[in-house]
Amino acid sequence: MRHTLRFTGVGGQGVLLAGEIMAACKIKEGGFGLKTATYTSQVRGGPTVVDITLDDEEIRYPYANEGEIDFMLSVADVSYQSFKKGVKPGGVIVVDPNLVHPTDEDRQTWSIVEIPIITIAKEEVGNVITQSVVAMAIANQITSVLNPESLKEVMLSKVPKKVHEANLKAWELGVKYAIESGITLAA
Amino acid sequence: MSRIVISTGNELAAKAAVDAGARFFGGYPITPSSEVMHEASDLLPAVGGVAIQMEDEIGGISAALGASMTGTKSFTATSGPGISLKAEQIGLGFIAEIPLVIINVMRGGPSTGLPTRVSQADIGQAKYPSHGDYASITLCAGSLTECYTQTVRAFNLAEKYMTPVFMLLDETIGHMHGKAELPDLEEVEASIVNRATFDGAPEDYRPYDVPMNQPAVLNPMFEGYRYHITGLHHGPTGFPTEDAEQCEFNIERLTGKINTVAAQNDGLDDLPDYEEVLMDDAEVCIIAYGSIALGAFEAVQKLRAEGIKAGLFRPIMMWPSPEAAIRKIGERFGDKIMVTELNMGQYSTEIERIVRRNDFTRLLKANGRPIAPAEMVAKVKEMM
Repeated sequence: MRHTLRFTGVGGQGVLLAGEIMAACKIKEGGFGLKTATYTSQVRGGPTVVDITLDDEEIRYPYANEGEIDFMLSVADVSYQSFKKGVKPGGVIVVDPNLVHPTDEDRQTWSIVEIPIITIAKEEVGNVITQSVVAMAIANQITSVLNPESLKEVMLSKVPKKVHEANLKAWELGVKYAIESGITLAA
Repeated sequence: MSRIVISTGNELAAKAAVDAGARFFGGYPITPSSEVMHEASDLLPAVGGVAIQMEDEIGGISAALGASMTGTKSFTATSGPGISLKAEQIGLGFIAEIPLVIINVMRGGPSTGLPTRVSQADIGQAKYPSHGDYASITLCAGSLTECYTQTVRAFNLAEKYMTPVFMLLDETIGHMHGKAELPDLEEVEASIVNRATFDGAPEDYRPYDVPMNQPAVLNPMFEGYRYHITGLHHGPTGFPTEDAEQCEFNIERLTGKINTVAAQNDGLDDLPDYEEVLMDDAEVCIIAYGSIALGAFEAVQKLRAEGIKAGLFRPIMMWPSPEAAIRKIGERFGDKIMVTELNMGQYSTEIERIVRRNDFTRLLKANGRPIAPAEMVAKVKEMM
């Protein structure tokens, strides 16, 4: 079974690392995972999209097929507007409501979940850099694509030791907010 | 036996270089190739090698050529704009017969073009990167695994044929992050080719006095064997000459040692120059290379699920192109061929030359975006 997830933001927000961690976790579980990023030549501020494809079978084409994405998460309106059409009707889109503004039509097409990811990272964790871990925890809680314990383990192996505690807190908050949303991806 | 790694194409190319015996990298960073240099800077010092960032791309290739003259396997990495800058020195490497691996992670062009976006528009540049006659050896990676295995091959070909070899990646394959299955290190080491050397008396040494279609025998510099290296046409000891017969022999030998040898021996080594996927019963053939072949593979599967018997032909050795195999495809499929690539038809022109027809389909894109399997499926359906 193939799962395609898309994370979008703007350059500098750190959405790339979350994709690498999820792909690596799937591979460590014995499957296949690919992460590709598309970004602009602006160092910061350009729309960035990360596609994550996970499958038990080998994956060749590394990008998400437009219209086949199960789950998208967005922390920047410019990226949300550019890339939302890739999500299949009925799919889940998590947005940071302080930064992303879905239309009424969007809300009818997709299951839109509002979680203030940046505020959680900045104020509850106390480190804005951890937003990618908050986002990843939300994504996995809603989609259940990976074993949460293995994903947490791979995440910790990819971040410096001195920020383990902050990232664990980010992880737990992401899981908590995702559960509170009451939304899960229909299998 | 094999090794499973999780990595990117750029990192795997650098790892392959070191495993193939490279001990010198000279270059200048440019998107989307910079991670090759980053990884080389990590790996080379650990094995006693050197990675140096020079003042620009020209300095980078010049340093790498110099290192290679001492017998040290060397490489550089860049993207299309960097190849344009390095062009003059690539010509020097060709005429002076200095082995070098040049990794080009292709991005959108021309000029500075689309720095962060994918392209395959340097295929033509890889054939004729420099002024003057040139015979290119160019490999193109079609998977993460091949970013490793074909880079090893590039070093072996450079040493065997005493010439610069292009290793083409593209932005997609260079940056994609996933699983790669690599051959064991022992297997890689057993495959390593080292350049020939002359071990007779130094006064008898004539590095460029070799038969037609044979590479020069260049001993490492500073080991007692004296000769001259120049970009000018040269005679047996490397000193400049304008002798008509010598110049004619030189250029026939330089191009012949690659193009004629490949044609006569069905390739330059024993490794596959192309891959065929589901071709046995195919009624329509997609020709694609590099990262575009990844999408083409999925397109073939989707077409077959819909009852259209599609197959994929994927060139790996781009130059000299696998002519005999392409000719057979032309004879077998006629106009039921679709060539798809990320440029305005650079390799389609080569296919056209070989199959001697131009009524096949082309699916081309040059706006920095990949070609999705769905686009290929739609185009093939139009053909049926």
